[in-house]
Amino acid sequence: MDTITLENYRCFRREQTARLAPLTLLVGENGTGKTSFLALMRALREYASSFREPDFTLEPYDLGSFNEIVHRRGSRGRQATSFTVGLSVAHPGQSDEVHSDSPHAFKVAFGSQNGVPFPIDRYLKASSCWVQEFMTPDRFPTVQAGTERGQWEIAAPAWHRQNAQSIGTMLDAHLSLERLFTKVASSQKRQWAETDFKPLALSPSFSAEDAKQLLRKLPSPSQAQVRVCFAGAPVRSRPRRIYEPFMAVADPAGDYVPLLLASEAAINGAGWNRLKEQLESFGEAAGLFNEIAITRLGKGESAPFQVQIRKFGPRAKGPRRNLVDAGYGISQALPVLTELLRVDCTHRPSHFLLQQPEMHLHPRAQAALGSLFCQIAKPERQLAVETHSYYLLDRIRLDIRDRKSHLAPDDVSILYFERGDRETCIHSIRIDENGNIQNAPRSYRRFFMDEVERSLNF
Amino acid sequence: MCAIVDANVAGEIFGSKRTPAGEGFFNWITNGNGKIVVGGKLREELGRSQAFLEWSLDAVQTGRMISLTDDSVHARTAQLQKDAKHRSNDPHILALAQVSGARLLYTNDRRLQNDFKNRDIIGHPEGKIFSTGTNKDDTIHYGKFTQSKKRLLERAKCAR
Repeated sequence: MDTITLENYRCFRREQTARLAPLTLLVGENGTGKTSFLALMRALREYASSFREPDFTLEPYDLGSFNEIVHRRGSRGRQATSFTVGLSVAHPGQSDEVHSDSPHAFKVAFGSQNGVPFPIDRYLKASSCWVQEFMTPDRFPTVQAGTERGQWEIAAPAWHRQNAQSIGTMLDAHLSLERLFTKVASSQKRQWAETDFKPLALSPSFSAEDAKQLLRKLPSPSQAQVRVCFAGAPVRSRPRRIYEPFMAVADPAGDYVPLLLASEAAINGAGWNRLKEQLESFGEAAGLFNEIAITRLGKGESAPFQVQIRKFGPRAKGPRRNLVDAGYGISQALPVLTELLRVDCTHRPSHFLLQQPEMHLHPRAQAALGSLFCQIAKPERQLAVETHSYYLLDRIRLDIRDRKSHLAPDDVSILYFERGDRETCIHSIRIDENGNIQNAPRSYRRFFMDEVERSLNF
Repeated sequence: MCAIVDANVAGEIFGSKRTPAGEGFFNWITNGNGKIVVGGKLREELGRSQAFLEWSLDAVQTGRMISLTDDSVHARTAQLQKDAKHRSNDPHILALAQVSGARLLYTNDRRLQNDFKNRDIIGHPEGKIFSTGTNKDDTIHYGKFTQSKKRLLERAKCAR
C-alpha cells in the first residue's frame, strides 16, 4: 500500500490522503485517531486482497457499529450518512502482497445496513481498466466498467444481485462479473449486445477484446486470498511462571507466544536456533537480556515449561531468571519481537500493525526497537507503528542518516495526527538523507519545544 | 529561507546575554516559521553552548534545525579559501550558506556582514543580515527587536 485515503471516517471529516512507506510511524496525542487508522489499514488490506467485506469489530480494533465509525460533526449528533476509504498501490508487483493482479486503486464507500457498515459504492482500478459498483439514488445496484477504449454500463440482469438494498455480497457480485467477462472474452462474437453493455460517453460497443483486458488487468476474486497481517494489541499477555502446553492460536495480545517458542525449541532445531540468536541479539542491544531459554519441567512435549532469560554482567553471567521475575518490559516486548523475528515462512506476516510496541521499555530498549524496525521493514514487509516514543523515532532518523539501515529516506513516513476543533488532520512528514525532519507543521512536538523553553528559563 | 546563526551571537539567542532582538529571533525559530541551518565548523562552535545543545536536541526532531553533512561544508570552505574573495575569518559560514541555500544571517561581525552581502560570494537570492546593531551608544535601536527586524523575519521563508 502506498497511500490511504479517508473521508468521514471516525475523527477524520474531510478527504485526506496519507502516504505509507515500508516503515510508517503514527504519532500524535492520545485520541487523535491513530488506532482507527491502523484498523482501517487492516480492513482495507484484507478487503482489497480477499473481496470479503471487512469486520470492523475484529480484535484488537473494535470500532463498534456504523454510528461509531462514521464521522460525527459536533456535539448535537449530526453525522455523515456514509464514509469513504481507499488505498492505492503505485508499483504493483514489487512485493508479494501486491502481486501483478492487485488493484492500483481501490475505493469503497460504506453506508449503514442494520447498524453495520455495508459497501454502497466500490471502485477498482488497475492501470487503464476499472470497474465500479454503486447504488443509484433510487437504490438500484449498478455496475460500470471501463478500458482504455471506453466505458460501459452493465445491464443489471447480467450480474448477480443478491440484495437490492446494497451492493450486496461483493465477492459473489464480482465473481458473477468475472464469469460474464469470461463468457464475452471466449465468445466468437466481436461485439456484444448493446443491451448488456450500454456504451457511455460516446464509447464504442463493448468487444471481446475489452472483456479480455478487464479480465487480465483487474484482480481476480476467484484466486483471492487473505494474506497474513499481524495486528498487535497495546496491552499484551501477562507473563506466567509456568506454562502448560495448549493449542497455540494467534491472538493480538500474544498469549500464544510462549507456546510458540517452546514448540519451535522442541521440533524445529535450526529455526529455533536462528530465532533465539536474533532475539538474543536484540536483547543485548536493548540491554534486556543476553540469553533466552525454554526449560521443560519434565520429559516429553506435554511437560509444562518455563521461559527463562539471563543477563550477563561485566565479569560474570547472571543467573537464569523466570520471565515473571525479569521485569514487565521483557514479557511485554516478547510477543512483538517474536512475530517480527520468527522465520517460519508459512506464517510470515507481510504487514505488521503495532500499537505502542515500546510500552514498559527503557529508552535504550525503545531506541533498539527503532533499529530493529529499520532492519525488518521492506516494501514486501510493511510496518505501521503507532508510537509515543521519540527515542524510537529518533533512532530511526539517525539510522537513516548514518546509513545503518537498508532503508532510504523515502522508505519512512511519519504520519502526525493533529487534532483540530472537530476533526483530525494527518500530516505526512518526511526524513531527508541527512536525517532532517521535513515539512513538519508548527504544532509538531510543540509540547517538547515548550518544555525546552521552560527548561532554559526563558 | 533558513537562517544561519554566527556563534558569536549564540549567547544573545540561547544564553544569558539575551537581548530583545535575540529573544525575537528565538521566538521565530522556536514558535514561528524560522529554521536554522548548521553544519561543518559552525556546528562545533555552537555546540560549545550548553543552552544551544539543549534546544537543538528537540529542534532537530521538530525540523526547526536543519543539519548538513560536515564533509560538504568543509569541502566548500576549502574552495572559498582557495578563491579568496572574502574578507572575514568565517569562510565556513559563507560555505554553509552556499551549500544550504540559507540567505539570512544573524551576526554582528561587520566583515562577515559585508561578505554575506557580496554577490560574488552569496549569489541569488541575495543575503540578508539580522544583527543586534552596530552602535552600542544608540540606546533606541541597539539590541531592540525593531519593526524592521520583525519584518525581515516575517518576509524570510524557508524552502527546506
